[in-house]
Amino acid sequence: MRKNYRTGLLMGCALAVTVAAVAIAYERFDTKTLKRTINRDALLCGVSTGLPGFSNADDKGNWSGFDVDFCRAIAAAIFDDPKKVQFVPLDSKERFLELQRRKVDVLARNSTWTMSRETDYALHFAGVSYYDGQAFMVPRSRKIDSALELDGSKVCFQQETTTELNLGDFFRANGMKYDPVRLPRIDDVLKAYDAGQCDTLTADMSQLYALRQRFGKPGDHTILPDVISKEPLAPVVRQKDDDWMLIVKWTLFAMLNAEELGITSRNIDQALASKKPDVMRLVGTEGEYGAGLGLTRDWAVRIIRHVGNYGEVYERNVGTESKLGIPRGINNLWDKGGIQYAPPIR
Amino acid sequence: MFRSMLVLAASLAMLVTGPVSAQRYSQSVMEVDEKPGYEPSADEERLPAALQRQSVFFRTNEQPGTIVVHTSERFLYIVQGNGRAIRYGIGVGRDGFQWSGLNKITRKQEWPDWTPPPEMIERQPYLPRFMAGGPGNPMGARALYIGSTVYRIHGTNMPQTIGKAVSSGCFRLANGEIVDLYERVPVGTKIVVRHAPEL
Repeated sequence: MRKNYRTGLLMGCALAVTVAAVAIAYERFDTKTLKRTINRDALLCGVSTGLPGFSNADDKGNWSGFDVDFCRAIAAAIFDDPKKVQFVPLDSKERFLELQRRKVDVLARNSTWTMSRETDYALHFAGVSYYDGQAFMVPRSRKIDSALELDGSKVCFQQETTTELNLGDFFRANGMKYDPVRLPRIDDVLKAYDAGQCDTLTADMSQLYALRQRFGKPGDHTILPDVISKEPLAPVVRQKDDDWMLIVKWTLFAMLNAEELGITSRNIDQALASKKPDVMRLVGTEGEYGAGLGLTRDWAVRIIRHVGNYGEVYERNVGTESKLGIPRGINNLWDKGGIQYAPPIR
Repeated sequence: MFRSMLVLAASLAMLVTGPVSAQRYSQSVMEVDEKPGYEPSADEERLPAALQRQSVFFRTNEQPGTIVVHTSERFLYIVQGNGRAIRYGIGVGRDGFQWSGLNKITRKQEWPDWTPPPEMIERQPYLPRFMAGGPGNPMGARALYIGSTVYRIHGTNMPQTIGKAVSSGCFRLANGEIVDLYERVPVGTKIVVRHAPEL
């Protein structure tokens, strides 16, 4: 009896030690995303299943878009090669679980940063890459340029709780009335608006610009600048690997700071000869900022040279040079009329 | 014929100046010669949606009514207050604005005359030395004179250069747009011009 007890205790201890060892190994493994990415010789980037402007594959499987370029920027910082990325399309339901299960190193998939997503899935959103939010489109002939002039409008939208709630809240808060036209699919919403069943369409601003592109004369429709909800889109990583989060976060900040300092993919070689301290720290001619990330001193130069600064990436994929033509607006730099602001490198 | 040659010249210039996708930023410079006498069609006057005048989010400490231009962008803003501005697509001279900071609109002119500057005559010797205002004039339908400088905000007879850095000229807007701006801007309006920071 006594012997059995001791054996049991021993076995229990052995089991506990084994479990602890496995757990520690697992934890250690979990904090080595950079090492695993380097060993694999490619970044695993979770993207959407297809959203023009943000992440979209052509018929040859070449991915492009704002989110895609962000992953290419991380790969450029690590490998000096923006092509070392494997894109993993994830649908909106599975995306956070797949990140948690380590199917990807980073999720760059037009995902809104919310508190419950960070706490429920043990994730970190590394920084807002794009400020989206619900907005309105009206025929240009209505000559409206503010959402506060929408009193009495007939508003088409996709049946979905947040869109409808935001709409109701906004009109109520401003003492305005509206006629709701609820439709099951976004295509139906567009058709109803086009057919004149409503004189206003509401959806997220990035989506409105994509929808507007489907009209024969996009310029006949105005998208009002008012944003009535917060949809901050951000790249996502797992918790517990702070070193990796720093890389993702400072990739975004490097791109924003490069734009603010006037450094582009076109003038990056001139920037290397600059004597301005802010520029020198970013391009690595002063200080050891790359080492702090476990990267080389020219980490930011690689990003800018291969992918470009924030403004270049924006204009190319969703801005003036793209089919979407979304104004920088709220996503302009803080000193140019918007709210994009990166902490300094120093 | 004339028009197709112009389009060809423009696309050639784009081919030359806009090589790789990562470098296809809006800074690309179009080498387009002035075409005095050329009158754009109504279709050409219609700008792409992204460059059309529109109300945008714009956070600023400047008073409503102020004109703001960031020459690194291809847009001119007129501040409306309440965190918004009306934004116009513009063409910016490559070596255009040498000054930055604060100035005032000192004069307004409908259908301004055109006197090409000497540098332009040097590059295009066949240009007239003077052209009276009117349709087909490279200065376009309206001009706003800035301080005592040689610079102005004006229209154009080549709306396809909007959104580009063109080889000469000041800030140019499509004629429909400059007419709209002209009505909103009294003499004495503040104008703030900022360049991309120097490296």
